[in-house]
Amino acid sequence: MIFNKNLKNIFLVVFTTLILSACSTAKKSGDMDGDVYTGKETVKYLASGVPDRVFFATNKSSLTTASRATLRKQATYLRKNKKLNVTIEGHADERGTREYNLALGERRANAAKDYLMTYGISGKRISTISYGKEKPVNPASSPLAWSQNRRSVTVKVN
Amino acid sequence: MKRIFFILVIYFLSLNSLKALIEVDITRGNLDPLPIAVSPLHVDIKSEKYQNLKIDELGINISSIIEKNFKGTGLFNPLKKEAFVQKPDIAHLKPRFEDWRLIKAQALVTGKILIKDEKLKVEFRLWDLTAAKEMTALAFTTTPSNWRRVAHIISDKIYERLTGEEGYFDTRIIYVAESGPKDQRIKKLAIMDQDGSNTKYLTLGNELVLTPRFNPTNQMVSYLSYFRNMPRVYLLDIETGTQEVVGNFPGMTFAPRFSPDGKKIIMSFAEDGNSDIYTMDLEKRVVERITNHSSIDTSPSFSPDGKYIAFNSDRSGLQQIYVMRSDGSDVKRITFGKGIYGTPVWSPRGDLIAFTKVRKGRFYIGVMRTDGSGERLLTENYYQEAPSWSPNGRVLVFYRETKAGSKGEGFSATLWSIDITGYNERKLTTKTDASDPSWSSLLSK
Amino acid sequence: MTKSLIYSIIFHSLMIVLTALSLPFMLREPIDLPPIVSVELIQISDKTNIPFAPKARKIIEETKKKEDRVVSEQAPPAAKAKEKPDRIPLPDEKKESKQIVKKKQNPEEIEPEIRQSSEFEKKEIIDTNQIAALIDKAKEEEAVKKEKTKKFTQSNVKNSFATGLTLSEEDALRAQIFGCWSVPLGLPYDKDLLVRIKLQLKKDGTIMKSEILDHQRMNKPGQKFYKVLAESALRAVRLCQPLKVPPTGYEKWKDIQLNFNPAEMLKG
Repeated sequence: MIFNKNLKNIFLVVFTTLILSACSTAKKSGDMDGDVYTGKETVKYLASGVPDRVFFATNKSSLTTASRATLRKQATYLRKNKKLNVTIEGHADERGTREYNLALGERRANAAKDYLMTYGISGKRISTISYGKEKPVNPASSPLAWSQNRRSVTVKVN
Repeated sequence: MKRIFFILVIYFLSLNSLKALIEVDITRGNLDPLPIAVSPLHVDIKSEKYQNLKIDELGINISSIIEKNFKGTGLFNPLKKEAFVQKPDIAHLKPRFEDWRLIKAQALVTGKILIKDEKLKVEFRLWDLTAAKEMTALAFTTTPSNWRRVAHIISDKIYERLTGEEGYFDTRIIYVAESGPKDQRIKKLAIMDQDGSNTKYLTLGNELVLTPRFNPTNQMVSYLSYFRNMPRVYLLDIETGTQEVVGNFPGMTFAPRFSPDGKKIIMSFAEDGNSDIYTMDLEKRVVERITNHSSIDTSPSFSPDGKYIAFNSDRSGLQQIYVMRSDGSDVKRITFGKGIYGTPVWSPRGDLIAFTKVRKGRFYIGVMRTDGSGERLLTENYYQEAPSWSPNGRVLVFYRETKAGSKGEGFSATLWSIDITGYNERKLTTKTDASDPSWSSLLSK
Repeated sequence: MTKSLIYSIIFHSLMIVLTALSLPFMLREPIDLPPIVSVELIQISDKTNIPFAPKARKIIEETKKKEDRVVSEQAPPAAKAKEKPDRIPLPDEKKESKQIVKKKQNPEEIEPEIRQSSEFEKKEIIDTNQIAALIDKAKEEEAVKKEKTKKFTQSNVKNSFATGLTLSEEDALRAQIFGCWSVPLGLPYDKDLLVRIKLQLKKDGTIMKSEILDHQRMNKPGQKFYKVLAESALRAVRLCQPLKVPPTGYEKWKDIQLNFNPAEMLKG
């Protein structure tokens, strides 16, 4: 009986570990890491190999490793094209109140702007605008659509 | 001495007999809406023609508006006209109370209209049928084309007489009219009567507009416009149609509201990505910074006495509601419940704050006391937010969005109202999809 | 990709089987948290649930007979209208040209055309001047009222001890009035409102005289809620008469006081 109980406990530990790893593999194999979008479906390009947007976690404006890599590419591109100015548009998903989302979009756009500036792009070349939840790129009401909508997009001005 | 003693004894005896009075506590009654009969207003045969107004139908049209208003409150039950037992003209002079009581009415509204010399003269009476007496009687004169407002003013007077609080029928709602697919919405400012009639559009839809709010006199509206792709708070004079940017801010300003005296606009200004709360004095053109914090501070709303400001901040990590003095001092967090809280709006009575709460992916509209205690969630839905108070502080109007399909189909935005007891949830009729409602104060004040 | 998927499926299903075998506590129903929506339930105890409609019909018919008499005794209507310029607040014309209710077109008060038919009704004549009472004043009055209310609230137990009615007699009367009383639903739920009505009854339970004990408060500015409640209470007793009174002991109950307190109802 006692042996039986111990066996059960061992099984419990082993399989919980396995199931957790199974879950995380499953998530990474999709287009989302946590709730940050990692796919390419909605992404456009400023130039070949330079994606125009980065994605954020719910209610967050911090840049992920992938976002930083994207922004470094943008910085390189902007350094090469010195006369180019850009606007960074900050967006939020539809699952928040309108006014807070406007502020959140502004924060996301500025997070991207600040990162570009640390890579030597003059702040004068970058303007920001927040659209909050007003301009979804994917109009669906699903976690995937929301992750695609939590974004900041770098747009060429001239 | 003996005599005094005798008097005292008598006195105590009489006291005792007074105390023996039977008292019965009545603590319950029926909660059905009060049955009320609204008789069509009698149209005086001496009435003259006025433009293309259908005078014959005016009496019944006015009474129908009154009935619709009453029904919408959930407090009254307007009885069917088919059951009415007396003709409007006779009822207005002297109702046969016993007949009206037969159809179970407890109150009766009667009235008379006369159009003469291009003037509409209206009088009405409210009768207590059980007590067989008149409760109130008023008359007034106006331009005939104004007959809908007449109906609303009558509704307000009766509502006030029967409930003890001010009505909210002679009011308007300003909102954002929406059309087009979800990812390319066209948004215009629109204004309508509280009952959904008289819709007028104030902008053309060329630029994105959001969050319109009335000033205390209902003359001005402040709102967010993306004119020239620069999101700024604007001020619009409804009468003249003139617009101006509020202040000269180098970045986005948003979430505007008027101070209770109408002299200031309070709003958020986003500087380098950080939103803080500012006020701008509209006469002196003085800008004052109210909060200075690295978090998002937005959705400010003054208390009706102007002494406090409720606002939304994520300084604790998530969106919560805070209250501070109007100079920005003494900031206190008031929401500690599970979930996130937004859009605090101070009730015109001053005792409650309405808010939006998000928890486990569901949206709630609720009210709480101004210290955050006594939270009551009134309604739950997939998405709803932005409550706005009726002028008497009894009803909230807000907007709802539906869940959309994979291409954005099935999406809609609609206005709803609910009273602060959580009863009587109603969809408002709007010509188009609608969001961001703001309720005016009483127009006839 | 496929491989990992297969592994995942295998491990998941193994896990499920094992869970089912070894972890009985996981089989238990998940704790169902009550939804957060606040639902306002009104509790009405059994004894108060009396059929209302047939009774009301009877009452109405009886009162109808009486009313017939009263109406015929009424004085002929005297129509008079006089100018009272400040009755309804109208939109300010200067401010908004669209607002068509004009300033100079003053509202008039119509004089009641029907005389009050009995003594107690006279006390309730309403002065519409007081409709527009100041809010601040209302608050002050409210505070005063609260104090008063506390003083007068009495418990049921005390009543039945002090009165000449048995518990069941009292319950019958209470239940009858519950049915007649349309509680004004718009009253603020958080204010302590109490209306005390003193009745003088005839032997058959009809009302000879009714008096609101603090009726002077009804016409004070800022007492609108009190007034509304008092009027609803008066409607209730009138609608209910003849009241259900015991067949004997008239002297004991010929004077009776009803205390209407809606707080419990309004809180829900």
